[in-house]
Amino acid sequence: MAETIRLTVNGEACTATVPARTQLAEVLRDHLDLTGTHLACEQGVCGACTVMVNGRPVRSCITYAHSCDGAVIETIEGHRGDPVMDRLRDAFSRHHALQCGFCTPGMLATARDIVARFDAPDEATIRHELSGNLCRCTGYVGIVNAIRDVIDQRAADAGGAARPAPAEPVGRPAFTPFEPVAPDPAPARAAAATSGPRVTEEDGATVVRRDFALAHPPEAVWALFSDPRRVAPCIPGATLDSIDGDRFEGAVEIRFGPIRARFGGQGSFLNDDSRREGAITGRGDDKLGKSRVQGDLRYAIEPGTDAGTSRARIELRFEIEGMLAQFNRPELVAGFVDYILGQFAANCDAVLAGGDAAPSRGVSALAMLWAVLKAWTRRR
Amino acid sequence: MKPAPFELHRPSDTALAARMTGGGDGTIKPVAGGQSLGPMLNLRLTRPAGLVDITALPGLTDLRETATHVEIGAAVTHARIEDGACPEPIAGMLRHVAGGIAYRAVRNRGTIGGSLCHADPAADWITALTALGASVVATGGTGTTREIPMTEFMLGAYRTALRPDEIATAIRIPRHSPGARWGYHKICRKVGEFADAIAAFVADPQTRVCRAVFGSTGGAPLVSPVLAAHAARTGTPADLAMVKAELGRSGLSLGAVKIHQLAVAHRRAVAEALSDG
Repeated sequence: MAETIRLTVNGEACTATVPARTQLAEVLRDHLDLTGTHLACEQGVCGACTVMVNGRPVRSCITYAHSCDGAVIETIEGHRGDPVMDRLRDAFSRHHALQCGFCTPGMLATARDIVARFDAPDEATIRHELSGNLCRCTGYVGIVNAIRDVIDQRAADAGGAARPAPAEPVGRPAFTPFEPVAPDPAPARAAAATSGPRVTEEDGATVVRRDFALAHPPEAVWALFSDPRRVAPCIPGATLDSIDGDRFEGAVEIRFGPIRARFGGQGSFLNDDSRREGAITGRGDDKLGKSRVQGDLRYAIEPGTDAGTSRARIELRFEIEGMLAQFNRPELVAGFVDYILGQFAANCDAVLAGGDAAPSRGVSALAMLWAVLKAWTRRR
Repeated sequence: MKPAPFELHRPSDTALAARMTGGGDGTIKPVAGGQSLGPMLNLRLTRPAGLVDITALPGLTDLRETATHVEIGAAVTHARIEDGACPEPIAGMLRHVAGGIAYRAVRNRGTIGGSLCHADPAADWITALTALGASVVATGGTGTTREIPMTEFMLGAYRTALRPDEIATAIRIPRHSPGARWGYHKICRKVGEFADAIAAFVADPQTRVCRAVFGSTGGAPLVSPVLAAHAARTGTPADLAMVKAELGRSGLSLGAVKIHQLAVAHRRAVAEALSDG
């Protein structure tokens, strides 16, 4: 499995024999002892691990070592004989552009790239370009000043007047309004079950509300919903392992794009046959992904608009912790919920018509939500 | 965190690469830069058995130009497009969009095809290329290719029309006339973060083609022929109330804040496209 790669790091040829999953940062730090490359977020956000690969800054935490086979790499320990980097190091000291120094190796790699790519950037441009490198103690004033200083030194070397005059705004021919040709036919889009937002944040929990139609009368639909053994197979990705009174154990497996998670757990259910309302409360762990979720699902079955049909109203409320929580984003939930509920409703109709639910592909309502939802509160 | 172990394949034949990804029941993923997949792997949100690195496949980093189209290899990086290496199907738009993706260090590795196939609703190319009337060229395990129009490519968040044994190999963008106008505006809380709202607008008076597209709506981009036609006929963006009413009629689950952000982004994109400055 492990294969040998060749790298030129800070001017020296070296090899590393590492498995495919090894990140470039790991080879630098753990195999070559170049611990100046810092790892923090390990998801490409903070910029601390930025190093130069073939002259371009890259995130070494999301760049596989094997994809760098043959590459020329410069880390903070390198850049020997590079007058621009010498000036940047000096300017960072003079402008007090670091305190703890954790972000500095990545800052210097990005700073080196800014100096190389821009002739005379203004402060806004420098700040924009620095936005992928986070500093949590010094602040950016000193860092920006250090970069400007080095750019000004270069301009002075070139005779002092290197800043080009701002380009004259170029007028363009006036826009002539026109009657557009018929647009491309838009692909049919499933109408939303209800209008307005159905994913909200309430008391720290994510709440999803939906309703959807079923082509069978309320008595039959309720008989299905209130029987965990029958309804579980209709939930894409769900399996029920055991039922004891009002307690159950089971699992739900989700597939959402590249995301895979399997939440195993237990919970309880409570059904009110006279009102055709019920609730399931549960909690589960995704052991491989180190995430935990807990929540409850309330459901009610009402007569539909046409005789012999039903309307199911659901409210799902959940909280998630762990790795998935770092990732999820609420705007992705609505589309996923519609997709899953479409499958769930089709499965319920199929079962009620005497057939079977479609074979599970491991996609589930009760879980992707967790996948994509919550990180936004944490990230923003 | 370290990703769960996986096998890394680097085939040099496109059909073979497509068969590899098709044979894994979803456990073998193509990767073309890994700047979206990488974080998911590190967080172990995804644990594929294998990755197929498609960046070495023949032609995937090529940039081609025909009389009617610009063709961009799927493994061309955002940074190459940002730096002007790519022929322009409409003056300046691709460079502008590419330069606004995440951060330079990410753009140096992330690819246009990878971004499209990852199909994140907040991704830039999904929305921008829909506005340009582009299509995705896909190669299957038997070596046959087909073209999928952008309007049919993305099915939902992280879902595309690609079959399991298909790999996107190129993007074909129709060339617009020199007088064509474009605007692209996105609203982000922080530079480089996932956008809260994206709007793209393209109007070509010569071909009379006009498209208004909204991105970061939670699923596939939303195309609005009504708002596009309004802008083309009047030379101005529709007023805020009209844009919001259109978004409200879209059938998408959009909150008031999201609708406002999308409407403001649309008006800015159209104004930018149609101003004569």
